[in-house]
Amino acid sequence: MKARRALHLDPRVRFAALVGPGALFIVLFLLLPLLSIVVFSFWRTESYELIADWNVDNYGSVLGEWIYLKFLLRSLAMAAVVSAICLVYAWPCAYLIAKHGGRYRIVLVLLTAAPFLTGILLRVTAMQQILGPIGLLNMALMELGLPPVEALMYTNIASAVGLVYLWIPFMLLAIYLSLFNFNFELLEVAKVCGAKPWRAFLEVTWPLNWMGTAIGIVLVFIPTFAASVTPRFLGGPDGSMFVNRLEHQFGSAGTWALGSAMGVVMCIASLVVIFLLWRTVRLRRAGYTGAGA
Amino acid sequence: MSDQAILRIEAVEKRFGAVRAVDGVSLEIGSREFFALLGPSGSGKTTLLRIVSGLEAPDRGRVEIGGTDVTALPPYLRRIGMVFQDFLLFPHRTVAENITFPLKMQGRSAVEREEQLDWILGFVRMEGLGDRFPHQLSGGQKQRVALARGLIARPELLLLDEPLANLDRELRKEMEIEVRRYQEELGIPFVYVTHNQEEALTMSDRMAVMHRGGLEQVGPKLEVYNAPATRFVASFVGAPNRLSGRAMQDDGERLLIDWGGIRLVGRAAGSARPGDAVEMFLKSERIALGPAADAAQHENRLEGTVRDIIFKGQFADYIVRADNDVELVVSGPTSVAGVERNARVTLGWPVEAADVFAVEDGEP
Repeated sequence: MKARRALHLDPRVRFAALVGPGALFIVLFLLLPLLSIVVFSFWRTESYELIADWNVDNYGSVLGEWIYLKFLLRSLAMAAVVSAICLVYAWPCAYLIAKHGGRYRIVLVLLTAAPFLTGILLRVTAMQQILGPIGLLNMALMELGLPPVEALMYTNIASAVGLVYLWIPFMLLAIYLSLFNFNFELLEVAKVCGAKPWRAFLEVTWPLNWMGTAIGIVLVFIPTFAASVTPRFLGGPDGSMFVNRLEHQFGSAGTWALGSAMGVVMCIASLVVIFLLWRTVRLRRAGYTGAGA
Repeated sequence: MSDQAILRIEAVEKRFGAVRAVDGVSLEIGSREFFALLGPSGSGKTTLLRIVSGLEAPDRGRVEIGGTDVTALPPYLRRIGMVFQDFLLFPHRTVAENITFPLKMQGRSAVEREEQLDWILGFVRMEGLGDRFPHQLSGGQKQRVALARGLIARPELLLLDEPLANLDRELRKEMEIEVRRYQEELGIPFVYVTHNQEEALTMSDRMAVMHRGGLEQVGPKLEVYNAPATRFVASFVGAPNRLSGRAMQDDGERLLIDWGGIRLVGRAAGSARPGDAVEMFLKSERIALGPAADAAQHENRLEGTVRDIIFKGQFADYIVRADNDVELVVSGPTSVAGVERNARVTLGWPVEAADVFAVEDGEP
């Protein structure tokens, strides 16, 4: 009886009881920290202390001074290149699994997630063991009397290889799920209508799976843009990214206000990328028919 | 006929593992024909259609369209149209874009596409709906769009794979007449696959009955209906009564049988000899029914009692228990003078209404 009476609470009270704890958690641990960063970014730091002296100088530095801007552009370029490589690599894989995987489809997809069984540090270290100067690859080359591949020894290329390895499962999964719901019979229709295979792909497969692909791009672009461990381990002297500079502000440099401004810039840059991709998805044109239609 | 055949299929064979989906089929379809390919599910009719379209490659045999051997050609070089059961419209394209897709693939100009679109939207009665998306259409409209897409490039041949199976009954009746009109006005040969004998009989000029990968009978639809060539065709086409008996005596075209003590005469359609176990397939709508004497002019006659009358709207089914205790279904007008439940009636039918096959003439 008691339980039953509890169900008859005022709907507003019940709503607050159900939503309250979760909302409180989000406000306390997500919105407040974010807000404080936005606030700090308009302050300044002096001798490791934040001073509430409102100004926009931090943004002037981040966007106006080459030593910061350089890292921002490098990070954006890295994220773009890694996303592009993941896209080109994951599409055929996902397509083959979705179309020809048969009953092994689910196993094949889960296999791509196998690296997640270990931590990111271990995986990046493993990449180091393969690409580094005394790594598997170059040792093998030298055993064969061939010169080592210098491009892979602590360079941005090595960094990119590592990031592709880390984030490609997300791209693959997003595209796979899209293709899983794609009706391959539409390709037969296109062919009967006179479309050559590549034309059928461009006219039917690609547009109908663009939404899933765009989600994959976001899932790779954002974490790559924010990656700090991988470039630090694999990138070498010129491999430092915007995030690494940001970390530096909160660490030894102790310039929290500047670091906060860098954080806000990163956040906005990520949102801009998401917005631009979202603009390319026209729901009707993606074959989206709305709930229940 | 063979000179102007648009589609010629020669000894086509297709296996899926151990299953012979299509087993040595040869067929010719003329230039202005509405041809129905009728068969139960799993009979290989859809596989045969996919071989003609190029979506499936035959293991053996040849396919010719318009005098050209297309056996090795991919679907996009075959100049055919195709309509599917699930409509399969492109969900991200408008009605207009769906319909003009084949013209776009042929590289026709936008002006020409627009002209053809206007013409075909009028032809399939879809004026003003060009800007809709497929999910905004009803089932019947979707299938009109699919038909328009199949026809707009004026293919040499239109293949239809159970196009009306997903529509409800009323709409199907309407579309049967519509599809038939498209074929007559455009003069493009249609190959229409269906498991629905009513559809095949309503629309086609000629038809083939397919069973276990092979063709049981090919011919004008009335011939297939009135003179089934095999026991399977007799059981699948029409809604016949099936009377099991024993052959007594044959005089070439006719066969006298003993049906539980009653003597009947039917058309000798199979290989039955006197003494064989036989089945007589008797079309329910060809049985005359009346109080006593009315049915007397027919060669076959028997007495029975009306057990039930099932009203079906435009006609009625009379369930009649014959004096040997076997029940027959008779289709007739909704009311017949003097015929009611438990009334004694006489049934009569001509020899050609009943086809007699030996039980050994193959499984139906």
